[in-house]
Amino acid sequence: MSSGRAGMTPRERLRAAMDHKAPDRVPIDFGSTSTTSIAALAYEKLKRHLGVEAETRILAKQGQVAYVDERILEMFHVDTRPLLLGPPENWNDIWVDPLTYEDEWGVQWQRTEESNSYFLLKGCFEGDGRGTIEALRDFRWPDPGDPARYRGLRDKAREFREKTDYAVVLTSAASFWAEAEWMRGFGDFYSDLVTNKRFIHALLDRILEVRLEMTVRALNETRGYLDVMLAGDDLGTQDRPMISPGMYEEFVKPRQKLLFEAMHKAAPDAKLLYHCDGCIDIFLPHLIEIGIEGLNPVQVSAKNMGDTARLKREFGKDLFFWGGIDTGRVIPFGTRGEIFEEVRRRIDDLAPGGGYVLNFVHNVQDEVPPGNVCAMFEAAMEYGRYR
Amino acid sequence: MPRDQELAQGIIRGDRESVVRLTREELDAGREAVGILNEGLIPGMDVLGERFARGEAFIPELMAAAKAMNAAMEILRPLLEASGVESLGKVVMGTVKGDMHDIGKNLVCMMLRGAGFEVIDLGVNAGAERFIQAIEESGARLLGMSALLTTTMSRMGGIIEEIRKSRAGAGVRIAVGGAPLDLAYANKIGADGYAKDATVAVECFKGLVAALRTP
Repeated sequence: MSSGRAGMTPRERLRAAMDHKAPDRVPIDFGSTSTTSIAALAYEKLKRHLGVEAETRILAKQGQVAYVDERILEMFHVDTRPLLLGPPENWNDIWVDPLTYEDEWGVQWQRTEESNSYFLLKGCFEGDGRGTIEALRDFRWPDPGDPARYRGLRDKAREFREKTDYAVVLTSAASFWAEAEWMRGFGDFYSDLVTNKRFIHALLDRILEVRLEMTVRALNETRGYLDVMLAGDDLGTQDRPMISPGMYEEFVKPRQKLLFEAMHKAAPDAKLLYHCDGCIDIFLPHLIEIGIEGLNPVQVSAKNMGDTARLKREFGKDLFFWGGIDTGRVIPFGTRGEIFEEVRRRIDDLAPGGGYVLNFVHNVQDEVPPGNVCAMFEAAMEYGRYR
Repeated sequence: MPRDQELAQGIIRGDRESVVRLTREELDAGREAVGILNEGLIPGMDVLGERFARGEAFIPELMAAAKAMNAAMEILRPLLEASGVESLGKVVMGTVKGDMHDIGKNLVCMMLRGAGFEVIDLGVNAGAERFIQAIEESGARLLGMSALLTTTMSRMGGIIEEIRKSRAGAGVRIAVGGAPLDLAYANKIGADGYAKDATVAVECFKGLVAALRTP
């Protein structure tokens, strides 16, 4: 790869990469967001493997995703640090039974006795006759003004900026599609897109209203201290987007445009990273047009997303890529050699001239051997150097 | 017959109300349930399935069509049963133990029902004993299994082995699916079939039915 500067700080390194300039080495993320970290059970194994004794703190309840201890982040040369909104103080999740809770969006989540993660059980608008404007009006919506969500955010962001050299990533509240799917339930939500459009538009508008206010408040709180703001909504399946390009333009794009514009206005110096799993290459020109600057995770196991050289060629001028290391097969089941090969390939494809932040495609899952996690970071240091 | 085309179009558009209305009208006019199903509704699902296979249809279109189909089947099922018309086959379906993801699995169930299968849906978090019990109770010879997580995918092989070892499970044809799987993995764990999406699943189970009939 072409020459980069030597001896950069983590923040300078990430900033350079996001500005499409070659840094000294490929920047590394781990644990900075709710989709780029590690599941709690895998984290326990990793800590034991590394001989690190630390309490497991949960970063995201639903997927039981863990914060990664500072000592491990340093061991792995991670350049990013996480910033997340707090839970509201005017709402407590309702425990329906010991394995099931209802969140502030009226969505019920359940885990199995043997698993830590929670899975979608039921939405508040799920079922025949529940998809109505009246139901939306009667619902007790989350309060974006709840001060606990933003408490301490500014101090934490400032501390990272002033006392460390790390790049600060805010998992903002910038999503609306996922909440809509959950609240209405997948089956009803997706058929409503064909048969009950008025309701879907109203539902999306109402969620966006709440999410937009939360996002802008969080960005205002952290203004000047933030390097990356994460937005995200999953729109892809393994082999195609969930919805047609026509539906994307009707239901999603105008709302994303509103959201992304507000984000850029609130945090002009932070880069907008968009998380979307699955096969979504045909939406990328739209997303670029409305203001996304980086794509996470580049799910390489999905159709049209595995040829990362092509993605770099077609979209690399406009987008930086964040992720790319396959968690479908290579990380859980691959050999050390295969993990090194995967890391080398993604760096070769995505990193030339900057524009790549290395990370797993998704949170490391419970069954992943800790040695494989370590191998990924070793490979990142071995191949990530710009010459 | 233009009514059949209207029925098929209703399915393709996911227009539940018109499909239900047309189904009722046809029955009132004295038509047999099996004709409405085979000549009107199923051809509509077939067209949509082909569009999905070509990448021209997406999840909402499939979901809406499957719902319209299910609404019509609610009306037709008792009549079909009363007149002794058999389904294409009984399929026991479930997401495997430890996994609570059911979006893809539900879509497969809907598409199978739409194609004329009877589906016994065990929901999520189903272990070998629940699959075996369902086969025993229903007499189903077809079984479908789904996993979204790499963690739970790794358990599918063991579950298949247990089912095959059970008395009721011997000879049952098993198909698997879910995002982390591929054909090679399905073969490795001893499955009889693999489907990458809900429309392929329909073809897969049709193939397994044919295999059951071949001695």
